[in-house]
Amino acid sequence: MGLRLEGVVCVVTGAARGIGLAIAERFGAEGGRLACVDVSATRLAPAVAALAARGIDARGYAVDVGKPADVQAMFDRIETDFVAPVGVLVNNAVWARFQPLAEIDVETVDRMFAVGLEGLIWTLQAAAPQMQRRGGGAVINLCSTSALQAMPNSIAYASLKAGVLGLTRAAAVELSPQKIRVNAIVPGMIGTPASVAQFDAATLATRQAQMPLGRFGEPGEIASVAAFLASADSSYVQGAALVADGGWTIAAI
Amino acid sequence: MERLTGRSAVITGAGSGIGRATALRFAAEGAAVLVVGRRAENTEETVALVRAAGGRAAAMVADATVEAHVESAVARCVAEFGGLDIFFANSAVTGSNTPLLEQTVAEWEEVNRANVISCFLAVKYAGRVMTAQGRGSIILTSSVASLRANGGAISYSASKAAVNSLTQTAANAFYGTGVRVNALLPGLIETQMTRKVFDNAKARGTEGKIGHVNPLKRAGQPEEIAAMAAFLASDDASYVNGQSLAVDGGVSSTHPFGRIAL
Repeated sequence: MGLRLEGVVCVVTGAARGIGLAIAERFGAEGGRLACVDVSATRLAPAVAALAARGIDARGYAVDVGKPADVQAMFDRIETDFVAPVGVLVNNAVWARFQPLAEIDVETVDRMFAVGLEGLIWTLQAAAPQMQRRGGGAVINLCSTSALQAMPNSIAYASLKAGVLGLTRAAAVELSPQKIRVNAIVPGMIGTPASVAQFDAATLATRQAQMPLGRFGEPGEIASVAAFLASADSSYVQGAALVADGGWTIAAI
Repeated sequence: MERLTGRSAVITGAGSGIGRATALRFAAEGAAVLVVGRRAENTEETVALVRAAGGRAAAMVADATVEAHVESAVARCVAEFGGLDIFFANSAVTGSNTPLLEQTVAEWEEVNRANVISCFLAVKYAGRVMTAQGRGSIILTSSVASLRANGGAISYSASKAAVNSLTQTAANAFYGTGVRVNALLPGLIETQMTRKVFDNAKARGTEGKIGHVNPLKRAGQPEEIAAMAAFLASDDASYVNGQSLAVDGGVSSTHPFGRIAL
């Protein structure tokens, strides 16, 4: 079987590290051309260089996805740079803080929602016309098990990620006539430095023990799900939330 | 992409439709496939198609609802192909559209045997081999009818909801063994089982409206389910466990576009 994303221009936000970078690597390995977006130019440069060193057609775009005008300008630039419209969009960028209710402040919530939820509206708005011009496309939104099952200090984060699920379904139904598929991935606990750093060793051990597969996931195990949803292999999957959590959320206790 | 090279799979209900398409897909990705079905001519035809495409397969006539048959299928896969990495429990029946108040226990028992007991047997016998070897992927065919009303017969819908639950409970029971269990929920797919829907629509001249209740506005093809099965069978789904995955054109995630008589 051939490469599933051969020649397709793929935009991945939050692509400088962790899950986003793993998705960029996997898409590149499947023949995709990568527009890597990250708010930090410093973080982005080495990531894009590493992708290019693997022979992947990759470019970096240091843009804050919470700023609609910047996002539109970036998508225009991407189409010019790659001389092709965008076919795949992965909304992975997120900025999050976990605070008890009394400590939640306006600045934190504004920034979280600007990047992690409103940003999805701006990227979709900019990407959809390009996808329509090429006869269709695939959008993949990164969600979280926090949208399904709650834990403490996650009032803002759970609301944000539940919002991503609602957005995914609404966009799926609205963009279907343009042959754009919109689906979400719901990762459980993935062992990226950013996610592991939030918890102490005892909490991490308890978490792992709760998972039927008995371990945290790897970024590559989310990237492989993203590759499925980006490719024609998922041509009849629309508006779905694909949970990849090792079975963490299936048990009552 | 050959994600299943060196792996062995059992597929039930593999004489036609989704099972046949999946046998072809698994084999194309490098797996050896034991094609299980109740009719020899159908299973043999699937095997011939796999072989014609350059794949490896063997046919076995067996009933997925009979315990001894499922045990034999697993044993034969291990003996003939050297192991069992994937079990796709796909055979099912639709149940009757008798009005609810007139349905009988006998009908319900038949549907549950075909749709639920078959999955239990798959989990039991594939699970024995897979938990011992510390890896494996079990895939159970459910349906979007398990999630919403009016997606199939009443007994069918209930039996498929049981499959979703078995998926969770079996995945949980296999805690720490490395064995994954997932359910695949097709929407309206053009197969032998749904032939009546398509024939009726053709007779009424409403064929073009099939699938119009889902956002993609079309019925699915068996190959589109096979692609999900191949994903779940492969290491690409290595962190996907206990899930019920809809492949339905979006019908279960949106309000119906309109209710059109098929």
